[in-house]
Amino acid sequence: MMAMELSGVSKSFDGFHALSAASFSVAPGEVHALLGENGAGKSSLMNVAAGLYQPDEGRISIEGRDVLIDGPIAAKRLGIGMVHQHYKLVKAFNALENVLLACGKGRYGKSIADVEASIRRQSEAIGFEVDLKRPVGALSVAEQQRVEILKVLVEGARILILDEPSAVLTDKEAEALLGVMRQLAGQGAAVVLVTHKLAEVQRFADRVTVMRGGRTVASVDPKSRSIDELTALIVGDVQAEVRKPATAPGAPILKLTGVAGLRADGHRALADASLELRRGEIYGIAGVGGNGQSELAEILMGVLRPVSGSIEFDGVGEIGGDGARRRRELGIVSIPADRQTYALAGDLSVTDNYAVHGIRSHRFGGWARVDSRAAQAETAAAVSTFEVNGVRGPRQKTALLSGGNAQKLVIAREFATLPRVVVVHSPSRGLDVRATAAVHQRLRDARDSGAAVLLISEDLDEILLLSDRIGVMSRGRIAREFAAPVDRQAVGMAMVHHD
Amino acid sequence: MTDIEHNVPPALAVGNPDQRRKRHGFGRFNLEVRQHAPAWYQAVALACGVGAGLFIAALILVASGVGFSDLANEFVFSIFSTPRSLADVLTQAAPLLIVGLAAAVAFRVRFWNIGIEGQMILGSIAATAVAIGNVGPAPMRLATMFFAAALGGMIWMLIPALLRLRYGVNEIISTLLLNYVAFNLLLHLLYGSWKDPKSSFPNSEQYEATERLATVGWESLTYALPLALVLTAVIWWLLNVSRYGYFTRVVQANPRMAAAMGLPVVAVTVGAALLSGALSGVAGFVISAGVEYRMTQSFFVGYGFSGILIAFLARNNPLGAVLVALCVATLFIASQSLQVFYQIPGSVVQLVQAVVVICVAASEFFIRYRIRRIHRGS
Amino acid sequence: MIDFLVNWAANVPAFAVPFALAALGLIVTEKSGVLSLGAEGYLLMGALAGAGASVVIGDHALVAFAAGALAAAALSLVFALMAVTLRVNQVVAGLVMVFLAQGLTGLIGTQQGWTNRPIAGLERIPFGPLADIPVLGPILFRQDMLVYLTLPIFFAVAYLMSHTMVGLRLRAVGDAPEAADAAGTSVTLYRYGAIVAGAAIVGLAGAYLSVGVAKMWVEGMSGGRGWIAVALVIFARWQPWRALAGAVLFGGIEALIPRVAAVGLQVPQYFMLMTPYIATLAVMVYANLNKSSERRFDEPRGLGQPYLREERR
Repeated sequence: MMAMELSGVSKSFDGFHALSAASFSVAPGEVHALLGENGAGKSSLMNVAAGLYQPDEGRISIEGRDVLIDGPIAAKRLGIGMVHQHYKLVKAFNALENVLLACGKGRYGKSIADVEASIRRQSEAIGFEVDLKRPVGALSVAEQQRVEILKVLVEGARILILDEPSAVLTDKEAEALLGVMRQLAGQGAAVVLVTHKLAEVQRFADRVTVMRGGRTVASVDPKSRSIDELTALIVGDVQAEVRKPATAPGAPILKLTGVAGLRADGHRALADASLELRRGEIYGIAGVGGNGQSELAEILMGVLRPVSGSIEFDGVGEIGGDGARRRRELGIVSIPADRQTYALAGDLSVTDNYAVHGIRSHRFGGWARVDSRAAQAETAAAVSTFEVNGVRGPRQKTALLSGGNAQKLVIAREFATLPRVVVVHSPSRGLDVRATAAVHQRLRDARDSGAAVLLISEDLDEILLLSDRIGVMSRGRIAREFAAPVDRQAVGMAMVHHD
Repeated sequence: MTDIEHNVPPALAVGNPDQRRKRHGFGRFNLEVRQHAPAWYQAVALACGVGAGLFIAALILVASGVGFSDLANEFVFSIFSTPRSLADVLTQAAPLLIVGLAAAVAFRVRFWNIGIEGQMILGSIAATAVAIGNVGPAPMRLATMFFAAALGGMIWMLIPALLRLRYGVNEIISTLLLNYVAFNLLLHLLYGSWKDPKSSFPNSEQYEATERLATVGWESLTYALPLALVLTAVIWWLLNVSRYGYFTRVVQANPRMAAAMGLPVVAVTVGAALLSGALSGVAGFVISAGVEYRMTQSFFVGYGFSGILIAFLARNNPLGAVLVALCVATLFIASQSLQVFYQIPGSVVQLVQAVVVICVAASEFFIRYRIRRIHRGS
Repeated sequence: MIDFLVNWAANVPAFAVPFALAALGLIVTEKSGVLSLGAEGYLLMGALAGAGASVVIGDHALVAFAAGALAAAALSLVFALMAVTLRVNQVVAGLVMVFLAQGLTGLIGTQQGWTNRPIAGLERIPFGPLADIPVLGPILFRQDMLVYLTLPIFFAVAYLMSHTMVGLRLRAVGDAPEAADAAGTSVTLYRYGAIVAGAAIVGLAGAYLSVGVAKMWVEGMSGGRGWIAVALVIFARWQPWRALAGAVLFGGIEALIPRVAAVGLQVPQYFMLMTPYIATLAVMVYANLNKSSERRFDEPRGLGQPYLREERR
């Protein structure tokens, strides 16, 4: 009998179909991988199982009995425990309080003692070490994940769902974690692993279900398929991208020396970054997230002031103290990771979002009057050139665009005038394969027309695919540099070893 | 039986639908974000909100002893039947429109100006100082008073603007606290050196003819209203046509994006805040020089909230503010006769406005969200 | 000089209690992640209900306080409906509550004839022989009932917040509503509870203003104290005991105002009356001056943001 079975589950968000009649089942003692691209519906399906989303249609059964999961409590009662991709932890609480929040019963004092004993038991059984007394906000990502897993285990979950557990871990940490999951399955738990990493699926999963566009398209034994076959299942009939190295890297244009920057909470996340960017090349910055990449991007964008170091622009000199406006005038454009925060205003129209540089630089009318007709005309042209789909009119709200189209709109705006330096951060986050390929092509085009491209990404495959040179970022500095083609293993090692 | 089956409460298991339905009486509805609502739907929701608000407000008044027919009489017939009361409404609408503009300008850049009343006081003090001191040539006196009032309101706004920029002090609290400071300053003057020498009442002395806004020649209506309409046109141009207006739109929608795009966010924000203060100051001048012809100790009461309400209902649109200001002015004038004939206190104006805001805010819920029934499967 | 100081200090508690309780009520609400700007309104509602109950039912202090707390709690349901269920911008919702309460209390007070009508109010209760100790006696042991009760109330709330499951869940709802929700805590229920309970405490402070201090209801008698309490909470970084210290500071300033003229200092009256507001601004500047990273867990992280489980970006 299946531990959990979801059948014909559909869910839409204001007209967007996240799930269309998806079906999935997991047996006790099994590690079941749920594969698929970003936006394929993996997390949505599992959020339905965890009681966070209410399905529009479909049925859920646990141990063969139909159930209604109308909230997280119901899911918990049914023995379903989920470790979300974005941890559901209270950062100000310590680990003990976080577990207590999830499974404390009765009096506080007694509860806290019970929970502490229970945590110690569980963590010894699976070999976890966690500091119970520090606020979890001050723990590392891997430690926070352990707290989440312990929370689920102390709750007594028999069905464990882990959403992208290895995305934020180093290879070694991921290995250990997946070993623990195998161990739990060995004790009779049903483990669901939401992931897009094929290698770990082949090593650790008993079965794999593939999702595409909100549907479950196949359920197979991973060991019977090659990586290529699995890839084909995931992406459908899309051609895989191929590397196209730079033809003519030119002279240096931007030089960073010992640049340091503070995170909002005062932590010196970017400690001492030095690198040189050349015309006509893509310089990739690899690294585990949170090693100063965001701060580097913000400093180059001009929204964060460096606390020390120098940024020299060829022919201009020091620009470290200049704001965002001056950067743009020099031809430094940016495509930030967090589009909705730094690049787009969702409540404004597509035209208002596109025309911002044009209006600022007097291209669309003077101070007394914005020439909205000219702005709309140019927006419409750019929208069609850059293949931004889903724009029904120039005054449509930008929030209505999908992630990929919103990204294309940002690129259309930033590339409206020929850029000299492009700073891109995680450009394919949340995009499907086709949109990703289109975005990558724009970056290559920019490079081939002579721009210097700084590509920051936590996705090592993306870095390896696009970069002509690679810098590995670790603890706020460029720890090592590689020239393409590089050995994937070597880059991976440099990301993990901190010295 | 496994552990899991033990954990399934009977109410959750299928096969017992009645019990299940009962237990999940609330859980069957689900809330989701609506990305886009058609214009007609928004208009209907807004109208329903205003209608519900007015209905509840009417119920409160009826409960306080005003008959339904009397309400209709006071709010509609007696006001629109005589030119005199119509002129009263239009006169009343002028300062209301200006404070509505003041609030709209500030809210356009996410600056919560709750200190409109304090800025009005400073505006009126500045204008009255010009009037008492006979500053400048007589023909230019009124213009001098106008600019003094604008400057007074602006300077009063400079304090919270600087406190926010320099020290990160929340402007909601700072602008509001400065109302109390301004009020005590007003009392200090009116009970001290500016007390009316003729009557010894705590008012300023009456303005001279050259210090008053003239009547337009119809009933008692003064040039306060044309002035307010000109300001409306100017603010409409500034917010909806000019480049500055575009900047405010971006800053309102996403200030961090505006900064990343290299827009002068600080200048745009502070500029709008100061303009808001200046407009509030002008509103104080309009009441003192266009309605009361002196500075009294309560001329500003209720305008702060009314300004916020007008901007809120007009969605920060200057043209919409004209319509809303007229409605609020009707409420003000009707409440005066309610006060005289039914002993309903003036605070009822605030009550009615608050009820309408609550209902309109509630109606926006139906624009932004959609309630859906949860499908429980087959 | 000693007499002056003792006399002043003996009056500080009565001025500090409204600030202390109002700030405490706000902390309870804001710890659940709901920005509460309506304190001024709850103070008015509590003050009116306290005075009204004294007029209608008679001078029973407990009844008056219960009426004040209940009235404010009832009014706060409107706010909870707006802020939690309808997800109205919490700044707008809070402001509207102030104006609603101003209008409502003005109307009811006038209609019922409670305005400016003297009531017996609270008496000072000397604390046995302790009250006769020189200096300390008048300051600590010749106060009224609510002054004595304030400390136990603070202890109770502080204990509830930090040493019970209810407090743990409440803080979780304010800090990380999505985490609390996933852990099975009802964000809606806890926020409603925190709003109503917080408003009841602020209403108690309001009842003290009319029943304990002024001994009558006067329209608009809260005089901005609710706003000062809002600032006090920021200054206190959402910690009850720091709020109490801040309240004593402001009580001290207020108690000083009527005494300055008495010692012959020539400061214009209305400038003296400005001091609490200016002091509040100064305190706000101070609170923002030294913001360091160790304090990043002070402010409830979900403060001011409506929670919706299925929000998708």
